[in-house]
Parts: sequence; C-alpha cells; structure tokens
Amino acid sequence: MQNALVPINAEGTHDELIQLVSFNLDQEEYGVDVLKVREIIRMPIVTRVPNTPHYVEGVINLRGKVVPIICMRKKFGLAESENDKQTRIMVMDMDGELMGFIVDAVSEVIRISGSEIQPSPAMVAGGIDQECIAGVINQAERLLVLLNLEKMFSRDEKNLFTGM
Amino acid sequence: MPPIDCEDQELLDGFLAETTELLEKLDDDLIALEKSSDDTDLMNRIFRSIHTIKGASSFLGFDLLVKVAHKTEDVLNRLRKGELVVNPDIMDVILEATDLVKLLVSDIKAGDIQERETEGTINKLLPYLLDTAGARQTAATTSPATPSPASDESPAVTETLGTTADSEPAPTAAAAPVPAPKPATDAAPKKSPAPPKPVDGKGDDLSDNTTVRVDVKRLDDLMNQVGELVLERNRMIQINQDLQQSDVNRADFNEEFGKLTKRMSFVTSELQMQVLKMRMIPVEKVFKKFPRIVRSMSRDLGKEVELQIIGEETELDRSVVDEIGDPLIHLIRNAMDHGLETPDERLAAGKPRGGTLVLAAVHEGNQIIISIKDDGNGIDPERVGRKAIEKGLITEDQFAAMGQREVFDLLFLPGFSTKDKATDLSGRGVGMDVVKTNIKKLNGLIEIKSTKGVGSEFILRLPLTLAIIQSLLVEVEGEIYSVPLSSVLETIRVDQRQFHLVGGQEVLKLRDIVLPLIRLQKVFNVQQRGEVDDFCYVVVVGAAEKRMGLVVTRLVGQQEVAIKSLGNYLANIPGIAGSTILGDGRVALIIDPVAMSEVCE
Repeated sequence: MQNALVPINAEGTHDELIQLVSFNLDQEEYGVDVLKVREIIRMPIVTRVPNTPHYVEGVINLRGKVVPIICMRKKFGLAESENDKQTRIMVMDMDGELMGFIVDAVSEVIRISGSEIQPSPAMVAGGIDQECIAGVINQAERLLVLLNLEKMFSRDEKNLFTGM
Repeated sequence: MPPIDCEDQELLDGFLAETTELLEKLDDDLIALEKSSDDTDLMNRIFRSIHTIKGASSFLGFDLLVKVAHKTEDVLNRLRKGELVVNPDIMDVILEATDLVKLLVSDIKAGDIQERETEGTINKLLPYLLDTAGARQTAATTSPATPSPASDESPAVTETLGTTADSEPAPTAAAAPVPAPKPATDAAPKKSPAPPKPVDGKGDDLSDNTTVRVDVKRLDDLMNQVGELVLERNRMIQINQDLQQSDVNRADFNEEFGKLTKRMSFVTSELQMQVLKMRMIPVEKVFKKFPRIVRSMSRDLGKEVELQIIGEETELDRSVVDEIGDPLIHLIRNAMDHGLETPDERLAAGKPRGGTLVLAAVHEGNQIIISIKDDGNGIDPERVGRKAIEKGLITEDQFAAMGQREVFDLLFLPGFSTKDKATDLSGRGVGMDVVKTNIKKLNGLIEIKSTKGVGSEFILRLPLTLAIIQSLLVEVEGEIYSVPLSSVLETIRVDQRQFHLVGGQEVLKLRDIVLPLIRLQKVFNVQQRGEVDDFCYVVVVGAAEKRMGLVVTRLVGQQEVAIKSLGNYLANIPGIAGSTILGDGRVALIIDPVAMSEVCE
C-alpha cells in the first residue's frame, strides 16, 4: 500500500482549500462539498410516492418545486430512527436536479485542504457503497467520511427508479 | 455552395423565420390556386412569396436555393402572365420544387448544407419554360398588353369572390389579405399522371417551436395584470406590518385580509388566463398542411375528394398542437384510403362522384374536439371482426360477445389492418396505433362513429393545455391523489358487494357495460386506515378507447392544478403522470389513467 497516503485528487491540487458541510448519521460524521448543497431545511410534510425503492421517502414542495427525498439511513442500511428536532433535509444539486437527503443533524461548514483527504480504507463495513465514498479526513479528534453523492445511485439504481 | 458563414446571425435567423412562414403559406396557396386558377390576387401572392425567397437567399448567397427558386419563379411568372394554364401536371412540378426549397431551407436551418440533387426537379421545370422559349423575352416586355386566356377571365374574379364569399375560406386565407374562394367544382384529374412526390411532412422540421410570436396587446394586458399583482403584494406587506405592530383588532384584520385574498385570487386567475392564452395557437397551424396531403393522396388513389375545414381558428396549447399532427394525418389517410370509395363505386352506390372529408375543430368546455368525418363506406364490424379472428387477435367466441364499440376498438390494436396487402399509404397496421399512442399521451379520448355505407367519424377529445389541468382530487385511505378531469367520465358511489369477479379481475356492472376496476389502494400499496367501509367511490375514467373504474375511499373535490414534474429520477413511476401542489402546500400525485390501464394488464 505504498500510495495509501496519496490524496485522491493527485493532480497537484493537494493544497486547495475545500469547504465541506458536515452532517451526522448514526454516530458517524460525514462531509459533502459545500458547492453541491443548495439549502438545508427542516422536515416538511413528505408525500409518499408509491412503487419506488424503500429509501425514497417521497416528495416535498420546495417553494413550488417538487423535490424527491431520500432517507440516508435507509439508503445506507443503518438503523432507522424517529425524526427529531435535529433532523434536517439537505437539498443537493445532483447533476442539475435537486434532491433532498434526510440526515440526523447538520453541524457545520469546515475548511480542509485537499491534501488532508485520504482514500478510504479498503474495507468499510456497513451498507455504504464504496462508490460514493470519495475519501476520509482524519483530523486530530474527528474522522470525517467524505461523500460524493452524485455517485450514490448506480446506473442500475437509476434504472430502478425509472423502470419499476 | 458556400458554407454558412453569415457574419450576421441575426440576418440569417430573420431569413429563416420569414422563409419558413412564406413556405408554410405557399403550399396552401398553391393548392387553392389549382382550384381557382383565375384568382389573380392569389397568383400574385404566390409569385411574391417565391420571389422574396429567391431575393433573400441570393442576398445571403445560398446558390442552390436561388437556382431552384429562380426556375420556379420563372414558371410561375409564365402562369401569371397567362402563357401557361394551371393544370395538375404543372402543379405537381411546382409543388415538387417547393418541397425541394423546403428541404434546402431546412438544411440551412440545421446548419448543415448538403449538396442536394436539384437537377431532376429543375429539369422538370424547364419544359414549361422552353416550349415557347422565344416568347419568353418578348412576353416580359409586352405582357401588359398581351391578352391571355387567364386575363380574359380576370374581370370575373371579383364577381366570383362575391358569390362564393359565404363558402369556407381556404385554411390560411384568414390571415391573407384576400380570402381565396373555395372551389365549387372538384379539381381532381381523370388521367393518372406520374405520381407526385409523396408528401412526407418535410415541412414539419421547418416549423419553429422555440420562439413565440405574441400579440402586443396580449403582452400589454399581461403587464397590466402583473402591475395589479404588485399592488396587491404591497397591500399584503402593509397588512403584515400592521399585524406585527399589533395596532389592528382582529375583526379589522379579518376583513382586510379577506378582501386581499379575494383580489389576489382574482388577479392571479386573470394572470393565469393571460399566460395560458399566450401559449395558445390556432389549430390552423396543423390543419393547413392537410389540403396538400389530401390533394396528393386523391391523385394517387384516383379518388375525388373535397376537404372541408371548419373551425381552424380554434386555439389550443402549443404542446397539444405539436402532438396532434401525426394522428390527424393517419386518420385522414385512413379516411381517404379505407373510407372513401372511388368515383365509380360511389356512383354505383347512388352517391355523388366526389367524396367529402370534413375536418372540424371546436371548443367544448375545457376540451377541444377534433373530428374527421367522411361520407364513405363506413366501417363494417363484421369484416373487422373476421380479420381480427384471422390474425388470431381474438377468438370466435370473443367476437360473438362483442358490441359494436368493442369491435371498433380492435382497430387500434397494433398490427391490425383490414387490408390484405400493405400499400404505400396504409395497410401495415401502424397508423391507428400511432393515433392511440399520441392521443393517450395527451390524456385525450377517441370515439368512433360509423354507419356501414354512410360514412365514419373519428372524434378526438383533447385537453386545451397540458400545463394547468382541471382535476378531481380523491382520497385513498388518507392519501390524496389527483385525477385529470379530462379523463373522468363519471363518479359513482357503490356498495363493494356489487363488485363481481371475472377471471380474477374485479368488475362492476355499469348500465350496459362491464367496467374493469382498479383498486388504487392495492396498486399504490396504501396502508389501510381504520375499518373497511362497504361503500366506496368509483371514478370512471377513459384513456383513449379504454374505460375503467378507479376505486377510491372518498372524493375530495374538483380543483385546477398546475402540473409539476417529478424530476428525472422519479419520472417513470407507473400510473403516476406527475405531481401538483395543493392549497396547503402539500404535494399530491397526479394519476395517469393511461399508464394505469397498462399496469393492470
């Protein structure tokens, strides 16, 4: 594993500052690129959409736009929990389309330099797809899993959405 | 041929827009000309159009286009001067040349100029210029004085116009300075000349749907409405401020706010109408290509057909207009090929030689009704049934149990055709399937009326717009769904014990029909809340030619809703057409009756 410590974006952008939005999901902390996050909202009324995968919670009305909502816990195969005051929906830009993700809590925006991002260890337990893990950030007291949500849905799943 | 290197893109755009418009009208005018060859105004208009096209394209350096347009213009010029007399053969060639011009223009539009073969068409034009080649030049100088057969009749033109003023004007004539008189006589030829180039809607890709021309008045009205809306918004801010400072009492606030709500709702619905109107275009846009199609088909088939168009000014949403072209062409083709008989057959049946095809559009509430009616042979249910049995689509027993309506529905099955052999025009069993698919897509309904020996009528009912629809809100165990009202035929409250089970499918006997039932609760996996009620509501919906009943818990009411897309990820959920936002801000899903019927199959 000689290249284990080489940052994933090895094109000389090591020290570029990246801003991440960090959020919690079942005790763990995750981060996504701040530029992909459109807004963070509280839980509104979600309308169930029949005949969709179980992790599709439904759709919401975001100021006149209908946005599909994905439950992150269900998607990642984590234990389900009741929504509480901390529960948030992160509305993300997914290749030009808005999509909301339910997370336990959104904590802060952090700055890291590109060189701090390490590739994820080969074996990550749990149901999180390797695909969408862009790396891990190991800082003094925290471990942040960096997600690339655009890769969250595999080709098959996109078809599943549309072909069910 | 130079590549498109127009420095001034605007100039090119202008040229394309103008040429497209001219070409669209040209087709129609040419058809009208054939029927009334002594209409000098019409003749001049045609000449001007082709001349303008030629001038503009030579200015921009489209050589090929200039060449074709120029020769066409020459022939038209001779017609105009009466050196040639309009006859079907000349018209064939001119129409072919027009098609070529269209093709060249669409090449330019696509930004991809190709070396098209133009010689063939030009060579066909040449004989009309050559047979009196010497006369051509003299005619150019002396023509004003030269009497000609056509100009002899020209004094009569005004009179002709006067006498036929009450007949239907030709499709685009409404927009033209002088209405072209509809011919009283049939112009179909008896001899069979070389078949004209098949009409394959080459002009279609010329039609531009990315830009809209809007009446300035409508725009002004819109601005006024927006102005009012801004006033109401200011009023709302004021009321809110007053409330924050709590120097109003409750009764005052209620009254003020009530007034505001009323005005707001008035202004917004006005605004909605305005915007909707701007999206509307007359159905003429589609209708005007039909005279041309009917003409060339009647020549191909050796039938005499008069096309009557009624209500071409009826307006409907552009999205709908774009979709109805194809189905209408198929229906017209069917009527001409299967419905109408040849002159001999018609005489033998005691009918006039020429058949009549009526294409009519009319508004009815929130729908537009388009009907294609012919006075031909009608549909023979017996023959349709036998064909279907022959093709193994149904069994003898099934046929015996069918009513006329169900038999007519067989026509929509893909691959069904009563023809034994496929021709250029029909017989592959595709047309009606296309009709069904497109009409379904638009949430429309199709109805067939036909009497054997007397004629058939195909009636299409289409929603006026696709952006905002009237819908029926229904509740399924606590969840609200919306059903497009255009597909709702009726709603009934029934006892579930009246349902019957036929081959595992729940059905309801509704008067004389057996209605298949779909339980939305089951299809959408809605959890049962509370006790099962014996009584429920059945919403009878129609999708194209199908009828079925949706079983729901409760009817909530009728509402006008704006359709919102569910986005790419959730685009293709079976049975769901989209979503809408209710008054309380919640999202409700819109049921797609068409897809619903497929889910159940």
